[in-house]
Amino acid sequence: MFTRFEEYAAASMLGEADSPPRLDGKLFFSNRWERDVFGLALSLSKAGCFEWEDFRQSLIAAIARWEATECGTQPRWDYYERFLEALLDVVEASGVLSANELAEVMIARRPAGHVAHPNSSSLEH
Amino acid sequence: MTDLFQFDKDREASSAAKVRALEALLIEKGVLGSDSVDAVLQHFETMAGPFNGAKIVARAWVDPDYKKRLVADTPKAIAELDLPVGMAGAEGEHMAAVANDEDVHNLIICTLCSCYPWPVLGLPPYWYKDPVFRARGVREPRAVLREFGIAVPETKEVKVWDSSAQIRWFVVPERPANTEGFSEEQLASLVTPESMMGVALVAAPAP
Repeated sequence: MFTRFEEYAAASMLGEADSPPRLDGKLFFSNRWERDVFGLALSLSKAGCFEWEDFRQSLIAAIARWEATECGTQPRWDYYERFLEALLDVVEASGVLSANELAEVMIARRPAGHVAHPNSSSLEH
Repeated sequence: MTDLFQFDKDREASSAAKVRALEALLIEKGVLGSDSVDAVLQHFETMAGPFNGAKIVARAWVDPDYKKRLVADTPKAIAELDLPVGMAGAEGEHMAAVANDEDVHNLIICTLCSCYPWPVLGLPPYWYKDPVFRARGVREPRAVLREFGIAVPETKEVKVWDSSAQIRWFVVPERPANTEGFSEEQLASLVTPESMMGVALVAAPAP
């Protein structure tokens, strides 16, 4: 039975600065990776890798960094981009993955044939 | 436009690739199982949401005896339906239904924090946790309901139900007009999360 944790996790973000997008009472994901990153954060916290509150604080900090970015270089608002940034921060801080392993994740790109845009967001790791 | 603001055109693909790499690495290291993420998300997508509450309400509309049982013993009545396990309340907290009728309009609220019948209504809206809504909902529910677009006549009683960690209330709204002959499925499609919170009525379909 895992209803309690999900409820706690989702409700703890309710109405706060880090509230997830919601549509008709359900979480709203536009892309598959948004769903996956949300599920990864929940799964890792449930597995005891970090406290959910630590993740929440990391998310609040990631959103605050975006808000503090100057207009000219501020990337388009994207809740799940900040969510991913917060998750990578907390994964690093909790030691779930080593620095080398995280570096592998950071350089992951779409399949060959596509070149990343040179002006990567300043908020991306 | 994108050049001016230096938007990263590849950002979506880059984020997707990072998430895939992160998940693959965590599975490879044995931190997560290959189905951990899907199992967690399945809950939000198929098990807990307002679609459950809508089915319960639709059954109560077509079966007056079920409605009586639902109000008398909500977890037991919910268990009669073919809904996912855990709908009647996880780990001890109970859900309780209150029915609107010609004499009473019900409103649910949580004055302490944001207790909510999550398995049947899904995630609550952002304003449910707002201190002003919580305070005014108790002090002047009719005024709050007017702001939501419901003018409750003075002859009708307004009851406010305060959810807690022990009891989480939800509302069985009144069945709208022009729904004679509707199937349970058709009826359920009319029920909104807000109507099950008591801040909206179920709109009648066009005749």
